[in-house]
Amino acid sequence: MADFGADEPSCTSESPEPEERASEDRSLLHQRLAIRELIDTEVSYLHMLRLCASDIRGRLQQLPPGDLDVLFSNIDDIIQVSGRFLQGLQETACHGEEEQARLIGNLFLEFQEEFEQVYKIYCANYDQALLLVKAYQKDPELQKSIQGIIEAAVPQAGPSGLSFLLVIPLQRITKFPLLLQKILENTPMDASAHPVLQRATSALQDVNSSINEYKMRKEVALKYTKVEQLSLRERLARINTHTLSKKTTRLSQLLKQEAGLVPRTEDKEFDDLEERFQWVSLCVTELKSNVAAYMDNLEAFLCFRPHEWIVDIPGGPAEQYCSLAKDLHLEALLQFKQRLKGLVWEPLCSLARALAGPRNLIKKRLDKLLDFERVEEKLLDVGSVTYEEQAARHTYQALNSLLVAELPRFNQLVTQWLGQILRTFVVLQKELAEEALRRAESSVALLPHHHIPEPDFQKLLEHTLDQNSGQLRSFQENFEKVLPPPTTQPLLPGSEYQLQALLTRYAPGKLYQVTSNISGTATLDLTLPRGQIVAVLQNKDTKGNNSRWLVDTGGHRGYVPAGKLQPYHHTLPRERELRGQTGVHEDYWLPPPEPTQPSVPTVPTTAQVVAVYPFVARSTHELSLQAGQPVTILEAQDKKGNPEWSLVEVNGHRGYVPSNFLARTPSPTPWGWSLSS
Amino acid sequence: MSWIPFKIGQPKKQIIPKTVERDFEREYGKLQQLEEQTKRLQKDMKKSTDADLAMSKSAVKISLDLLSNPLCEQDQDFLDMVTALDTAMKRMDAFNQEKVNQIQKTVIEPLKKFGSVFPSLNMAVKRREQALQDYRRLQAKVEKYEEKEKTGPVLAKLHQAREELRPVREDFEAKNKQLLDEMPRFYGSRLDYFQPSFESLIRAQVVYYSEMHKIFGDLTQQLDQPGHSDEQRERENEAKLSELRALSIVADD
Repeated sequence: MADFGADEPSCTSESPEPEERASEDRSLLHQRLAIRELIDTEVSYLHMLRLCASDIRGRLQQLPPGDLDVLFSNIDDIIQVSGRFLQGLQETACHGEEEQARLIGNLFLEFQEEFEQVYKIYCANYDQALLLVKAYQKDPELQKSIQGIIEAAVPQAGPSGLSFLLVIPLQRITKFPLLLQKILENTPMDASAHPVLQRATSALQDVNSSINEYKMRKEVALKYTKVEQLSLRERLARINTHTLSKKTTRLSQLLKQEAGLVPRTEDKEFDDLEERFQWVSLCVTELKSNVAAYMDNLEAFLCFRPHEWIVDIPGGPAEQYCSLAKDLHLEALLQFKQRLKGLVWEPLCSLARALAGPRNLIKKRLDKLLDFERVEEKLLDVGSVTYEEQAARHTYQALNSLLVAELPRFNQLVTQWLGQILRTFVVLQKELAEEALRRAESSVALLPHHHIPEPDFQKLLEHTLDQNSGQLRSFQENFEKVLPPPTTQPLLPGSEYQLQALLTRYAPGKLYQVTSNISGTATLDLTLPRGQIVAVLQNKDTKGNNSRWLVDTGGHRGYVPAGKLQPYHHTLPRERELRGQTGVHEDYWLPPPEPTQPSVPTVPTTAQVVAVYPFVARSTHELSLQAGQPVTILEAQDKKGNPEWSLVEVNGHRGYVPSNFLARTPSPTPWGWSLSS
Repeated sequence: MSWIPFKIGQPKKQIIPKTVERDFEREYGKLQQLEEQTKRLQKDMKKSTDADLAMSKSAVKISLDLLSNPLCEQDQDFLDMVTALDTAMKRMDAFNQEKVNQIQKTVIEPLKKFGSVFPSLNMAVKRREQALQDYRRLQAKVEKYEEKEKTGPVLAKLHQAREELRPVREDFEAKNKQLLDEMPRFYGSRLDYFQPSFESLIRAQVVYYSEMHKIFGDLTQQLDQPGHSDEQRERENEAKLSELRALSIVADD
């Protein structure tokens, strides 16, 4: 019967030839057999799955539970889907044969989506499961016990036990297109089932290629997302001719692109995604470092605790401030810091870490793109490429499709999370303020002026502060009135008279006392005993020597070394004041002159004043005066507020002079002065 | 031969009574402590306000950098949120500056002024000490002459020594009295002096925190953030992280 065929050109279309009918019958038989095979194998498949899931998995208790998950993955889901599928298959058996074929086709189309979802996970995980199995094989004890369990349940598993079982789902999903193909081949073209079956077959083929692609993406992601921490030595070890040539090839490709020699593969969709990724990445990085700076500053602020220096100012606002500041530092702000750390800082760190994976993949994609372009070029030139080059193409495509698929979601998630973090930051600030105000409530109520509104309080405060600083000034002045002790040089006997004589002619500021015996050597030098009072006429000699001063002893004039002189403070008048206070006192010397009132000239700054006595400036701040010289007073006190010195101007020169050397015209002040005011 | 009384081992003669010396040291001691505290308080206050300003500036930088990110051009919601945040931060910075200025004027300046009295005080105490030394020396001299045989020259020298002593002793006593009067007054003045500053300090803080509460409260409302607890927020963060990790392109760390 084999050679009958369509040799005769004429054929009657009414009744098919017996040979054709026979072959038709054969096809129909094969179809029925194929359908039978489909259903039977599905039954045994499901049975095996159930065996694995319950008996075997249940008995492999010596393995850690994490391992079991890796080994069996989502087998339960597969069982569930397959169970329903089988039920559907068995229901089709009720119908006629042609109907059945069509229904089966439809059933596959119905389950296409679910198969893809369930099997892709299992398949992608399969490699890892195999790794585990290999690891077990290395341990003979473990291997033996596993083998024992498997053989008890599934004798036909044979020596390769676990891996034999685990590969079954993979085998099943790849079998489907083949089974369908067989049914399709044996279905007449004009049957209603035919187009359905055709669609079903290609659908299952699509499922398989989707599963493959998914698996490849996962592999690629796993390979390239890890940022490897390599030491320098390891990096160097990695460099070999192969990697070097890869890199140089990529570089030259990049250069060719930059130079415009080779068109760059423009992928607008990817470029947009990458751009957005870069912005998102920048946002996270900047925010993280800004928050770090903010937290550092907060830390620094918490370091300083001025309230700890407020000791012994009992009662009142000082104490309240102390306790409030302590509260804020130790509780409110500390809490704020901790919440900030947990709810803002740490999420930002996680975000920053998550960026590493995509960043790496994008970089790798670019590398692979350059490879891919070169391969494309070669393909155009030569027409064929090596196996490695094909692999490079596939890797690029895998990377590209992976990124295009997942970057949008990534970008979106990161943006959402950023928004969440920022909102949290705002809420933390608000709650800090709430907390601080709550703690301050009790203190504020106790403040003396809490009922006064702020602007009025400010005015009151300013006024009080002014008053206070005035009071401080008076304290300061009082302390400054404690003057250096009087010179302890005793007066020589009989020198009081001489002193008074000098005082008639010279200002008190000119009086100096000899500190140790001076024996003059040069012609104009004087010989003076210790304790002698002299008046200084010039603080240098004719040759400009500053250490040799011209003095008047009341009788003689001559030069003495300046180092042996010290200013003499006349204490008589103050003594007299004291004497007045302490009562009767021996009065040894001269009859007391009129107790003079301290003459503090309150001369208006523009009054014309005259210098009564000559004055020799002893430093650059002072100004020399001649008797009778008119001067202009600029300030009637020195920088410290001491009224004994006045700032005057003479002939364009400015300097300080003793205030009591000045007199207001026309009446000169009576001479007489006192040290203390 | 006049019998020289056994003088070896005698402690330095106390020319001023122990109680006086003790009083003086106590009062001065308190003031020395106060000087130290005033200095430290002023320094720490300044450092604290500087740190406060730094914190505020870094908060402003957060929103400023966000605003300059190109994401704002693409995403209207993001832009709205970041703009509102930026406005809030800038306003808070202005209030913070005001607060710091207030502190500078009403706390740090007065502290400085208070501290500036101490040099004069210390100088005055030094001078009193000098006077005391002089007093001691001359007193010793007088006593030396008093011990000697009363001859003519000795009497003359004794007389002179007494004359020298008198003004010096009186000077010391005057200084001592002056300081013993002034020091406690000055010490006591700190209470009235400082209380206004601290009141101002508390008020300034309250004003600042009130503004802060209002501004961030409004912002919270605007950004429509529900009142979550900290645990809820942590869970939200965990959830987001898991979602990210579910993507293959994200490496597991």
